[in-house]
Amino acid sequence: MLARPASTAHAVLSKKPYICQSCLRRARLAPLAPLPHPSRLPRRALQTNSQAPPKDAAPFRKLLKDAKKQKKADGLQSNTSKKNKDARLDKWELTVGIEIHAELNTPRKLFSRAATSVAGAPNTHVALFDAAFPGTQPQFQRETVIPALRAALALCCEIQEKSGFDRKHYFYQDQPNGYQITQYYEPFARNGHVTLYPHDFPGGVSPEDGPVTIGIKQVQMEQDTAKTVQQPPHTHLLDFNRVSHPLIEIITLPQIHHPTTAAVCVRKIQMILNTVNACTAGMEMGGLRADVNVSVRERNKEVVDGGHEYSGVTGLGQRTEIKNLASVKAVEDAIIAERDRQIEMVENGGVVEGETRGWTLGSKSTKRLRGKEGEIDYRYMPDPDILPIIVGKDLVEHLRDTLPMLSDAWVHTLVNSNQYGLTAKDAGTLLLLNDGDRLDYYLDVVAQLRVIFVNDPEALGRVGKTAGNWVLMELGGLFKNEEWDENRVPSDQLASIIVHIFRKQVTGRTAKVLLAKKFEGDARTVQQIIADEDLLLQPLSRDKYVGLAKDLLEEKAEMVKDIVDKQQYGKVKWFVGQMMSRSPEGTVEPATAEGVLRELMGIPPME
Amino acid sequence: MSYLKHAKECLSNRSKFFRLNAFIALADSSSMISRSLRSDHDTRNALSDKLIAIKDNICTDEFPTTAASGILKEFTSPYDATVVKQLRHAGATIAGKTNMDEFGMGSHSTHSHFGSVLNESLNGGVISAGGSSGGSAVAVATGQCWAALGTDTGGSVRLPAAYTGTVGFKPSYGLLSRWGVIAYANSLDTVGILSSTVRDARELFNTLNHHDPQDPTSLPVSTRNRLNSSTQSKPLRIGIPLEYNISTLQPPVRTAWLRALRVLQQKGHTLHPISLPATRHALSAYYILAPAEASSNLAKYDGVRYGSRAEGIDGTPSSVLFAKTRGEGFGAEVRRRILLGAFSLSAQAIDNYFIQAQKIRRLVQQDFDNVFSASNPLIAPSACGKESGVDVLICPTAPTTAPLLQELENQDPIGAYMNDVFTVPASLAGLPAISVPVSFGEKGGETAGMQVIGQYGEDGLVLDVAEQLEHAIFT
Repeated sequence: MLARPASTAHAVLSKKPYICQSCLRRARLAPLAPLPHPSRLPRRALQTNSQAPPKDAAPFRKLLKDAKKQKKADGLQSNTSKKNKDARLDKWELTVGIEIHAELNTPRKLFSRAATSVAGAPNTHVALFDAAFPGTQPQFQRETVIPALRAALALCCEIQEKSGFDRKHYFYQDQPNGYQITQYYEPFARNGHVTLYPHDFPGGVSPEDGPVTIGIKQVQMEQDTAKTVQQPPHTHLLDFNRVSHPLIEIITLPQIHHPTTAAVCVRKIQMILNTVNACTAGMEMGGLRADVNVSVRERNKEVVDGGHEYSGVTGLGQRTEIKNLASVKAVEDAIIAERDRQIEMVENGGVVEGETRGWTLGSKSTKRLRGKEGEIDYRYMPDPDILPIIVGKDLVEHLRDTLPMLSDAWVHTLVNSNQYGLTAKDAGTLLLLNDGDRLDYYLDVVAQLRVIFVNDPEALGRVGKTAGNWVLMELGGLFKNEEWDENRVPSDQLASIIVHIFRKQVTGRTAKVLLAKKFEGDARTVQQIIADEDLLLQPLSRDKYVGLAKDLLEEKAEMVKDIVDKQQYGKVKWFVGQMMSRSPEGTVEPATAEGVLRELMGIPPME
Repeated sequence: MSYLKHAKECLSNRSKFFRLNAFIALADSSSMISRSLRSDHDTRNALSDKLIAIKDNICTDEFPTTAASGILKEFTSPYDATVVKQLRHAGATIAGKTNMDEFGMGSHSTHSHFGSVLNESLNGGVISAGGSSGGSAVAVATGQCWAALGTDTGGSVRLPAAYTGTVGFKPSYGLLSRWGVIAYANSLDTVGILSSTVRDARELFNTLNHHDPQDPTSLPVSTRNRLNSSTQSKPLRIGIPLEYNISTLQPPVRTAWLRALRVLQQKGHTLHPISLPATRHALSAYYILAPAEASSNLAKYDGVRYGSRAEGIDGTPSSVLFAKTRGEGFGAEVRRRILLGAFSLSAQAIDNYFIQAQKIRRLVQQDFDNVFSASNPLIAPSACGKESGVDVLICPTAPTTAPLLQELENQDPIGAYMNDVFTVPASLAGLPAISVPVSFGEKGGETAGMQVIGQYGEDGLVLDVAEQLEHAIFT
């Protein structure tokens, strides 16, 4: 039902003004099916309302660093106040709801046949309607519903058979029509949820002890605005390429009670969107943006006057909204700051006002943007030019059946399958890193090892865990301060290193050297490097081990005494290191060396 | 008549009636003449020898498209509206762009950035041309073109037709494409036709009555196939809506109404009084809904991407960059309706105004469905034809004949809105309606507009009855 007679459409299109030819070519080439690697598209800032983008031009990493520094300084100063704070948290309960805006991954815009673009020259992908020319009308591109539906299904939503578009009015120069087309009265998806497991949390511990389920009130489709490029002091340049790029807005219920949970919730939703290939997400880069609403109430106590009701959740305190948070960290920090501000205010006899507040990364408090009296009345009106969307059950079922495996299912597989055997924590980390690219890389390595060791059940039982260690720890360490790039150490090369370890052909130390060489750009294969540099393990005879060990033990009789008398077995490692450094590279195996040392000293063998 | 002769006549009338201010932009006269000599002039096309004027809220790329507004006073659209394209394909020549009420908001074509449209009574008095398609109506009435396109949101084609003694046809909503028609209230906006005879209106209608994929509200082909296209030769049941017989109905208008009913009865049709109880709320509902949509549709005019900007610096650090531009660019009536609409959509008022008005709109539509014998093809075909129902309604187009412009100068806006009381119900229900002139004097001459309204999709029947009425009156 979604196929279009593309050839005739393009013939008509190519005669139209204001649609550039490269747009058409892209529309022609771009498959309606998802692109294979959406997460690798360049990303850009997203702005869903009239607020000016943050002015600070400092790179994000620096902002994070500064924020950390600031926090450290604060922590040193106020260790005592922190204790008071914790006491207050026993008394006050935080409640948070989140709205997440994410850019859908579609070849065309929401209401015109112009191509979506990320890095196109400004104003080259703009149809007449996108620029709000008089007499033009929206032409809903029904293909855009597909990734939106995938997202909603992954968030366990009920897909509405009928939904509609409404106009949300406000004036701003980035909004050519004077209104944003969104789904206010009848969103396309409702009543979903996302479950946060302990492994989703940092350190594998959820503040709620166990899984937390956050309700999703609704998911709606809407259009993006133009991009404003500010040229201080007085110039605003507008790029209409982004106008009408399809977005989804995901609205959670106010069921979050910890700042960490909020951050984890955003990250998890981001991951889900990535997994089902719905969005060009990546919050740190600006593909996603969140607004949070925050309130506090005293635990075990009825709120005066019955309190406030938000999305059907009753008895809550007055909430404030913090807009335009562009990173997971900003979500967490802004909530902490706003929670503390509200508690402070109420404890000092004040009243929290319903208002909209802002937050800049690294700051300690939220900042008032506008009060209730300054709230914009959006004058929502159903758009008379746009017909309702009717989504067939068959389409929903098809999409549900073809949905990619979600992260929770992946974690389950990585932990429980004897192919992998990772810890929940490592599995979670793998999924989180590099928008899933790290997981792909890991799966590649494991797949290659499984082919090599197909007839060796003992090795097969270990490859998953060993590969996990190398991908996360060893390779992870090397990539600590650099952008992930799976081509830097191709997966077959890492597999080759692991094969050599398994076959006891190289020592662990040599393996690390090999990895470092590949990482630094050595073009030779691992096999070649081992051959060229004579790194193959040349096993020493037991006599030679004993000889080496005896010499050493005699030299350091003092230490031997400590080890034997005081059971300081840790010091044995020092002797192992000495044995290795006194022998040619790759000849001494640490485990054998330690065994011999312990034997000579008459202490228990290794555990 | 040859194209050349037709063009020369129109050009001569153009200079003769220039003072009536019917046009905002005129086609170049020499190119109009020379067109007939061009080799591509194919006389086999339906409209190949016709000059057609276009209301200035319909986009054309060869003339400016201003909607008679200061904010678009120098705007030329980069594209042709679908209806303009259809006319060109049928061989028609565009005579120019006609004057109107700014963005279609008005009942006398006096709210124009380019000055009022004038209309002359038989005794030489300056009277209202009706609005908002007054320029198109006057251009047809004075022979400056063969026919003209207008737009009808709440009567903007029918009222000017009634005041100028021409035929004004508003087809069913969704039949003619609105791509390229500047929106006033898009759930009501309809492209309409002004012509000298019903036959001409039908010819133009047939040319334009096609599905347009660029207009999301254009009726799809599948639904068009369901519409009743048979022309009826049997005696018709004609309804007389009693609510339209109001006390303020001018005697000449009542005379014309009676005369129209009489001639139709003489032709063998039967007359039946019917009731449309929601009619008395229709006008109020219309003046909530149309301004509400207008306030939204007109939000795009900010002078940023096209259109005029106010002189000097616009905007403050705390406001948008076009408050002054919008304040200066729009006329008083447009500003009034934007404010009205913004209010009725506001959070405090939407339940009491916009939502209530939508309910009335539905009641008005149900009123019509209750009296017509044919069922509404847009509603699930449960209700089959009713024996007791009527085929068409006949009622006046307006309660009065064209007033003197002088009399309007001190009229308050509500008074002006009252002119639309008979045309608005058909607009709210999206029904086909046509205004034909019916003389009320003994010797002919002076006319009042009589409206024929039919069930949704019965455009053919409405044109048939209008044609019968026209022939009975003038032959």
